[in-house]
This record gives sequence, C-alpha cells and structure tokens, in this order.
Amino acid sequence: MKKRGLKMIATVGALLTLALAGCGNGNSANKEVEASAEPKEINTLTVYSSGPDGLAANVQQAFEEKTGMKVEMFQGTTGKILSRLEAEKNNPVADVVVLASVASMDGMKESNQLQSFKDAENADQINSNWSDADGFYYGYSASALGIAYNTKNAKVAPIEWSDLSKSEWKDKINIPDPSLSGSAVDFIYGYTEAEKSGWDIIQSWKTNGLQVNGANKEALDSVITGDKDATISGVDYMAYKAKADGEPVEIVYPKSGTIVSPRAVGIMKDAKNVKGAQAYVNFLLSDEGQKLVTNAYLLPGNKEIQVKDRAALDEIPQLSVNWKGAETKQIDILTKFNDIFQ
Amino acid sequence: MIMEGRRTFGLLLAIVVTFAIAPLLAILYYTFVSDGQLDFSKISRMFENDRMWHTLGNSLLLGLLVILGTTIIALPMALIRTKTSLFKFDWLDIILTIPFMTPPYIGSMGWILFMQNNGFLQQLIPGAAWMSDYFFSLFGMVMVMSLHLFPFLYLMLRNTLLRINGSFLDAARIFGRNPWRNWAKIVLPLLVSSYVLGVLLIFIKTLAEFGTPATFGSRIGFQVFTTEIHSYLSRWPVDISMATSLSLFLLSVCLIIWYFQNLIGRKNTYSVLSGKTQAGREVKEGWYIKLGSWLYVGIVLLLSIGVPYFSIIVTSLQKVRGDGLSAGNFDLASYQAVFTSGSAGLSAFLNSVVFSFITAIVTAVIGLFIALYIKKGETKKQQALDFFSLMPNIIPGIVFVVGLIMFWNSPWLPATIYNTKAMAVVTYCVLFLPYSVQYIKSSLSQLDQSIFQSAAIFGRNSWDVYRCIFIPLLMRGILAGMMMTFIISMRELVAGLLILPPSVETGATFIYSQFEQGNVGLGMAVAVITVAMTVVFMFLLDWLQKRGGRVGA
Repeated sequence: MKKRGLKMIATVGALLTLALAGCGNGNSANKEVEASAEPKEINTLTVYSSGPDGLAANVQQAFEEKTGMKVEMFQGTTGKILSRLEAEKNNPVADVVVLASVASMDGMKESNQLQSFKDAENADQINSNWSDADGFYYGYSASALGIAYNTKNAKVAPIEWSDLSKSEWKDKINIPDPSLSGSAVDFIYGYTEAEKSGWDIIQSWKTNGLQVNGANKEALDSVITGDKDATISGVDYMAYKAKADGEPVEIVYPKSGTIVSPRAVGIMKDAKNVKGAQAYVNFLLSDEGQKLVTNAYLLPGNKEIQVKDRAALDEIPQLSVNWKGAETKQIDILTKFNDIFQ
Repeated sequence: MIMEGRRTFGLLLAIVVTFAIAPLLAILYYTFVSDGQLDFSKISRMFENDRMWHTLGNSLLLGLLVILGTTIIALPMALIRTKTSLFKFDWLDIILTIPFMTPPYIGSMGWILFMQNNGFLQQLIPGAAWMSDYFFSLFGMVMVMSLHLFPFLYLMLRNTLLRINGSFLDAARIFGRNPWRNWAKIVLPLLVSSYVLGVLLIFIKTLAEFGTPATFGSRIGFQVFTTEIHSYLSRWPVDISMATSLSLFLLSVCLIIWYFQNLIGRKNTYSVLSGKTQAGREVKEGWYIKLGSWLYVGIVLLLSIGVPYFSIIVTSLQKVRGDGLSAGNFDLASYQAVFTSGSAGLSAFLNSVVFSFITAIVTAVIGLFIALYIKKGETKKQQALDFFSLMPNIIPGIVFVVGLIMFWNSPWLPATIYNTKAMAVVTYCVLFLPYSVQYIKSSLSQLDQSIFQSAAIFGRNSWDVYRCIFIPLLMRGILAGMMMTFIISMRELVAGLLILPPSVETGATFIYSQFEQGNVGLGMAVAVITVAMTVVFMFLLDWLQKRGGRVGA
C-alpha cells in the first residue's frame, strides 16, 4: 500500500510538472512544434545585441523583411550579455552576438566561443582596425567617446580631459559604470594605456566628485536633466541623438585624443542557425545595414558611407592604443577602478 | 473526504517541492558541491571577502533604519485613524495602501527625478537646492523605503488598535485609574506583540527589497545583499558560485529572523476578539487635534504618493527633458509611442498582463487545494504543507530566482523550461503562491464548522460538496487572492531581469531598461499605465471585500 502510494505521488507529480510547464507555455510550445514540423531549415535566429535600442530594432525589422527569418533579440549592455552567455553555458541559445567592445569580442574569440566567417560580403570594405583578420568578428560600427556636457548649465565648454579636475566641475561630473558599459572599459583601458598619467587624472576626477553612474544612457541622462554638467567617456551617438531631439547637450573630443570604441558582430561557435547568422552578418556589413548604422548617429564600419550629422572618423583625434591582449588586462583595470571608487 | 487523503497530500507536496523547494536545494548543492565532492571552499571564500561583511552591515543597518522610519510614519497614522474623528473615513485606508502597491523602483525613480540637482524640486523652489545633498544619502534611501513599506505596518497596528478599542477600554475606563496609566498598562502591551511581528516582517521585506537599492542605492554607492547577488549574476565578470553563496547566506538570515518572529508570535498572542460588536462612538476633540491629524495625513500622502507620482507623470509628458518644467514643454508623444501597435513598450506591458493573469489563475487553483487541505493546520502534515507554501513569503525573491535558474539549468534535467516564457510564469507562481494561500485560508476560516458538518451529511459526493458549497463560498477569497497576485506579479522586477528569454520583456524590465539604455519618457509612460491599472484593481479588490462583508454577514 505504502509503495503504491509513493509511486502514485511520483507519477502524478511528474505529470503535473509537465502540465504546468505546458500551460504557461502555449506560445513557445507551439513554436517548437512548428520548428520540428519543418526540419529542413531553422527559421529563427537568436541575436544577443548590445546595440543601441533603436538601431537593433531597425536592423531586426529590415533583416526580417529581407530574409523572412524571425529574429529573437535579447538586448542588454555588454556586461549583461557576457554574463548571460556565461550562465547559459550548459545550454547555449545565441547564434549571433553583437558587443560594444572589441576587447571583449577578442576575448570570446580567444576562449574559443566564436566561429570564423571569412567570406562575409563586403568584408574588404570594413575598417580592418576594428575587425579580426581571421574573420571571427567584424567591427560594423563604432562610437567615439568624448565629453558630453549640458550647454545650459556648463559655463565654459570643456576642452581637455584634465579640465574636469578643475573646481568649476566639482561634483558636476560622472562616468558610466565600466562593469556595465563596454565602451567605458575600453575608455579606461585605452586612456590609462596611452597616457602615463592616466590613473592620476582618474584619481583627480574622483577627488573632484566624479560619480559612477550606471550604464551609458543613465550617465548621459543625468547630464540631460541637469543633475550633472558633464559625462566623461560619454558615448557620442547618444549625445548626437539627444541633441537631435532638442536636448541641451553637446559633445567634444579632447585634442589630446580619445578612444574610438568599435562594435563588433560575431557568430557563436555553438550557433544552431549558422546560415541565418551569416546572413545577419552580411546584412550588417551591406550598404543597407551600414546606412541604418549612420541613421543611429554611429560611425559606419565602411568608410565609403557618409556619416549623418556628426563628426567623421578622421575628424576625431585618437589615442594610440595597443589592443592586443586587452581582454585579460581589462579585468585588472576593472578591479583597480572599483578599488578607487568603492 | 478527498482533501484529507494521503494522495492529496502527496500530490500537493510534490507540486510544492518541485517548484519551491528544489530551487533552494539547488542553491545548497551549487554552494557546497563541486565535481561531485563536498567542497567548502566556495562558502569560505565568501566569508573571507571583506566586501561581503560590509554588505551584510549595510543590509542590517538599512533594515533597522527602515523599521525606525516606518514606525515614525505608521504609528501616529494608526493612532489618528483609530482615536480621532478621522476613524470614519475608511477610504483613507485604500489611499494609504497605494504607496505599498506602487512598484518600489518606480517610486524611487520618481524621488530621484524630483530631488536631483536641477530636478523638479529645484525648478519649483530654487531655494531648496541644499536639500538635494542631504537627500542623496542613506537618509534619503531610508525615507524612500519607509514611505513604500509603512502601509504594511500601519494596517497591522490599526487592526490591533481597533480590536482593543472595544470592551477592553470600557473595562479599563471603569476599573482603571487615569487614561495615561490605562494606556501604558493595557493598550501598549497588547500593541507591542503585533508591533514586533510587524517590524520583523518589515525587516525581512527590507532585506529582500531589490528595486530601491538598485535604483537609489547604486546612486549613492550603498550596496546591499540583493544588489550584490544581482551584480554577481549580471555584471561582467560573472561569479555564479559567489551569487549562490550569498543567496544561501541571505536565506539563513531571513529564516533566523522568521524563527524569532514565530517565537514572539506564539508567546505574546492575546485573544482580543471577544465577538462583541463595536458600537460606533462619538469622538470629541479639540480643533487642534483635528487640524494636526489632517495635516499629518496630508504630509504623509504628499510624500508617499504626491511626490513620486508627480515626477513620473511629468516625465512621461515632457517633450525636451533638458527644458524642465516650462510651459509648452508637454505633450502626449510618449503615450502615442507606447500605444502604437507593435511598440516594444506595449508588448512588454501585455506580456506582463498575460504572465500575471496566468500566474493568478494557477496560484488560485493550487492555493485553493492547499488551503482546503491545511484547514486549521492541526496535523503535522498540514503544518508542513502550510510552512512550505508560505515559505516564499519569508525568503527573498532573488534567492528563489537564483535557485530557479540553477535548478532549471541543471545538465541532468531531460527537458527544461529555462529560456521560455513558462519560466517567467513558474517563477511568479512560486514567488506569489503565499498570497493566494493566505487569502483563501482566511476566507476558509470564516466558514462555520456547521457548514462542514452539514455538507458531510447531506452532500452527495465530495466533489459535489466542493463544487456546490465550498468553492462558491470561498469565491471572494479566491478572487481577492487572484487580484493581489495579479497586482504583485505586474510589478515584479528582479525575476524578469534575470530569467526572461530573448525578445521577451515585461513592463517592469522595460521601464528599468529605459532608464539604463533608452528613452526615460517612454519608460515613465509605461509606468503610469501600469500604476493606473494597479490602482483600478485595488479599488476593485476593496469593493469585492466590502461587498463580501455585507453578503457574508
């Protein structure tokens, strides 16, 4: 009797688990059924993208219209995407990954998470400094980092990085949190690598009341609303976008040079839909994809494409940075930064 | 009867164990076992970490200060609502629960927008700039959290005071000495037990809170347990074992507090319900008491509802945010953007509605069976089930979420719901089952024993008895539980942030991500819509309970 009871419990429990799992899941269950009905071609593509919201959505729409493929998009900051990939190691889902930091992308290549796609269309047009020579990832766009400031509240425009240690900027400056923002890690890495006094200047910002303020948009937002006057390592396309919307924001690139942070796209090694993933990369590199990039005020990977209402790449003074092995060093950079600010 | 059989117990237990206990076991497993070997290095790594002790200090300090804050707000409010002429205005109670129903991250975002440099306060009163510095500190965080949590303590205190008001005070008036002595010797001791229970729950809720620390705390650099766990899981470099160790630690802290709460609850419960109906009484009071009371109520409402809602609504209407509060800077563009069909905001909002609705139904069904089985919790089994089903109330949501992620990602599972929408629904069900169990249990406890007896004698078979007698009688409790579950699910943030599959957002994660990456105006428009719906549901809930009272009497 006791045994039977137990068996019963186990069976019923299992059944209920299934039933419950099923009832919340009408949609995806159907999808799975559909997918298994046509085994020839997988028709969905999973993209993890840290692209700007608007651009990622536009690319998704144009790509879906063009290929008839369904794109499942997960949007997040570079940090969020990397950690999601880590958490999902046991059952990977992503086909394509788009990150706002080439160093992280290179790290993924080194740790064998990406696959090469050498024959990408238009690959020769794309800025080779931003892309991998073996075709593991392509820098399809880039943003330059500058000082974004509020034109209403700032009395004088900042010119140099070191200006922000001055007393008129006391408690008026912020920087995106590098553990959330890929471009901010790139900035701190590049700046401290190229400038000998880099850490001293960062320390002097800290003494001047530098606030570490969430992701890129959060940092810029507090400049827009006037909470702060300037964002260090402000992502330029966001500033241009806000300016186009009529917000009192302007961005400057210090003469001593700044960092251009490329955004790269790559195909996951475990991608289930390799064909779709390749089509997605091709689309991003195509003239049509590149035009969408410039519409979002980003720098296009293809120099032939005209930029829109922003500084072109050759107008931006750049620091010379050696990016080789940046990924491993970045963890040290991040720890050092956190030690200063926490 | 069916609900008493062993099979029923097994079945209910199986459900609860799979969904609520297994995630906790998964946390234990990942913390203490690596490669099939018992391994204490992970947990000792946590204890060696200075940062952890610092965080623990922060969390406990915050808990204590929020207890103080909620007491300062709730105690006078409870006295005003029971001792002065304001006791007549029952609608105040609904209004006073709005702060608790407002998603905490929205409330604190509202406060941030209001108080920040060049924020709304400084635009309205330029001389108030000095306040900002004081506000963006631990003080401000405690204030925001207290303003969110006080309704909880207030309702507990008010209910106790109401019950004491009747015959106890009459007896005291006749036999006691002066009013102060009566108060100190009779009312206070009776009040203390429910106060202690209330503040311990506030403490647990503060420890478990994620929204305010994530928005306000990160701004002032005040890390607590929940935000640490979240950042170990979602920031690069990821450290999953640290997240599970921290979760385990937080879980233990909460269980210890809960144990003390139980101890106190059992020792100091006085039966204050005598069954005597309370006669309506006339309150004679000076004009200054009346004025003071209204002033107090007004200030609390202004701070807890007025300020955050003002910021949210204004932000959702602004055209150019850099122009602040100036005439002509307002339009409905954000709302138009949300209500354009296929917009991300709308689909996120609809996702929330669908998830919450399914959660409400599933928890109502499971909750009904559990409540019917538990009844008054006389046997060991009933008590066990009661404990398990109420556990999610004591354990912080983020701990369950971590456990669920670990559990559903286990390599040995033949099939997983991870990365499907079902994962969201299952998580919500686990987190919010206690609400429906509690509502249904309390409405079950109102049924007289005679109903059970006559049903047992005259009912044809047990299914008919349930279908025709108990379920209709309990319907109000079921519906109230469903509505509560719905409201709470609509605002859940941390579960959404960690477990939603690609392409799926809920209203809460949408609002949060607009702050991080996108268009704040759009996020606030969704927030206004969510909150408006919540308020409508709350009035429905109240109406349902009131009507219930009349019909049931």
